[in-house]
Amino acid sequence: MRIVGQLGEKCLTTEGLMNSPCPQDEEGRPAKEYGSFTFSYGPLAGGPIESLALDVLTRGESVDWIDYVSSKNRKIPLAGLRVEDAILKVERINANFGAAHSIAFLIAVEKALEVEPDEKVVSSRIVELELERVRNHLLVLHRLLDAASLLVPAYTVLSAVEQVNRTIGRACGHRYFMGANFLGGTVCRFEPSMLVGWTFMKEMWKVLENRIFVDRLSGNGVIKDNSLIGPAARAAGMAFDARCDGGDLPYDGFRPVSMRDGDALSRLMVRMEEVESSIEMLSEMRTEPSSFIVPERTGEGIARVESPSGDLAYLVEVEGRMLRKVEVLPPSRANLRAFLSSSRGAIFTDIPFNWESFGIWVSELEVDLG
Amino acid sequence: MSWFLRGVRRGVRTEKEPENNATWPSQLEVKGEFSGCPTRAIREGKWEPGKCVFCRRCEPNLVPTGNTVQPEVKTTNSLFRKSLHVFPVDVGSCGGCNVELKLLFSPQYDATRFGIFLVNTPRHADALLLMGVMVEGMEGPLREALDAMPEPKVVVLIGACAASGGVLGRPPEVNAHVVVPGCPPTPASIIQALRRLKGDV
Ligand code: SF4
Ligand code: SF4
Repeated sequence: MRIVGQLGEKCLTTEGLMNSPCPQDEEGRPAKEYGSFTFSYGPLAGGPIESLALDVLTRGESVDWIDYVSSKNRKIPLAGLRVEDAILKVERINANFGAAHSIAFLIAVEKALEVEPDEKVVSSRIVELELERVRNHLLVLHRLLDAASLLVPAYTVLSAVEQVNRTIGRACGHRYFMGANFLGGTVCRFEPSMLVGWTFMKEMWKVLENRIFVDRLSGNGVIKDNSLIGPAARAAGMAFDARCDGGDLPYDGFRPVSMRDGDALSRLMVRMEEVESSIEMLSEMRTEPSSFIVPERTGEGIARVESPSGDLAYLVEVEGRMLRKVEVLPPSRANLRAFLSSSRGAIFTDIPFNWESFGIWVSELEVDLG
Repeated sequence: MSWFLRGVRRGVRTEKEPENNATWPSQLEVKGEFSGCPTRAIREGKWEPGKCVFCRRCEPNLVPTGNTVQPEVKTTNSLFRKSLHVFPVDVGSCGGCNVELKLLFSPQYDATRFGIFLVNTPRHADALLLMGVMVEGMEGPLREALDAMPEPKVVVLIGACAASGGVLGRPPEVNAHVVVPGCPPTPASIIQALRRLKGDV
């Protein structure tokens, strides 16, 4: 059993929900020393793709302490809404994980309503999640290259992101899957021929021939502990992955990739391997629009899927088609904890590379559904 | 082999006219009556793109045409013709607008060929580009950014959240010169808006 994370007031594990909060180790902030000062970064500093605020206690180059400062909290109350209306908001919690959020939410609702989804809908969900993973991992690579000012390879990778976005748009009608998933069905139509021209991985591996780039990542942000999830866990040798450890979609025979060093370079390499394995999976799948009948009932459901940054879970209580309660466990929360703890004691210039390597989205980190 | 040559070998081409490549969002054509719009983007048979989140509920009464959603451009300034420096501020977005903005600089669109550049500080910006619904914590930073910009300055809103609040909240209270509908807007729509602001088209 492993702890996945805090879901509302309870703790989600791979064996189910525990009736108590997850145990957490809190590190103490060190006192200011002679010559140390707090440097505030953001929320409007250029560089990060989203508004982001960090406080760094430093004596110049060292990161004696780093903390996250909330600035972008969005209140999106979902209780009291019909499922059909709530999904419009759920898919806008984090557009970049739009498929993962909407699919986890819908599976939780289906479990609450005790309905089995149609097989075609299930395979469409797997296709969507793998397309989303490819897009996200390439975007992480782009952001890392951009942080290193390696602009030609950075924009070459961005061209691949655009290519994936176009494929998603053609398959599901929208580049971020909005409106693609609804209660009782999906509109995506995907076939392997849509991957023609996806030859970008051959060049992507070449970025690792660049010493300057590798040096920025190697040994940066080392973290190895059981609270890690997603690519960060797999980069530290722990094969945690909701695609094979009790998640809610059938990935038969799936084996996660893993590395050992637990640094930013390993996190990137895990992602690059995963792009290849997702493309391989996609090259054998096809989907078409499909729907099934959903009954009305009162109940509670929990669902967990592997988003590109790790476990993403929803807990819902429904009455008929009305939501009584919705809790979300976005992967960015665990990744933020890991980023902060792995950055403490580092040097200042390591921070952007370490931040990007965790694939954190502030939009889902700061969302408040209550 | 250099990265430049690798790019050439892969054959990634900058597109002459940036193409719209998804069905949603695109310009909608009103074909019939519809009354269940979650954002009231349809009133008395008229469709208001800035309010639309392109949720597909009104199909087939409103039909996507596949054409780029037209931005609303209220001003043009020939001072920006050679270069337009844009400072983006995410006042509470879901990240979708942010990535589409980033993709303006992918080789397919290459916004820099139109003299459009992103800058890291409002001090160097001609245009403040806002995305997302207005959240409390970003109100102060937004005002500071606006105050720090030199004149002449323009404000560009991208996405349904910034244009109207969309389905998630309220829009920022600013005088906007350009509004780009979409959720998120496509890179083609954003480029068109910025080029019209520059007086290029
Ligand atoms: S797509 Fe959705 S938001 Fe837009 S007009 Fe139709 S129903 Fe309204
Ligand atoms: S307009 Fe749409 S894509 Fe843009 S921030 Fe709002 S919800 Fe996200």
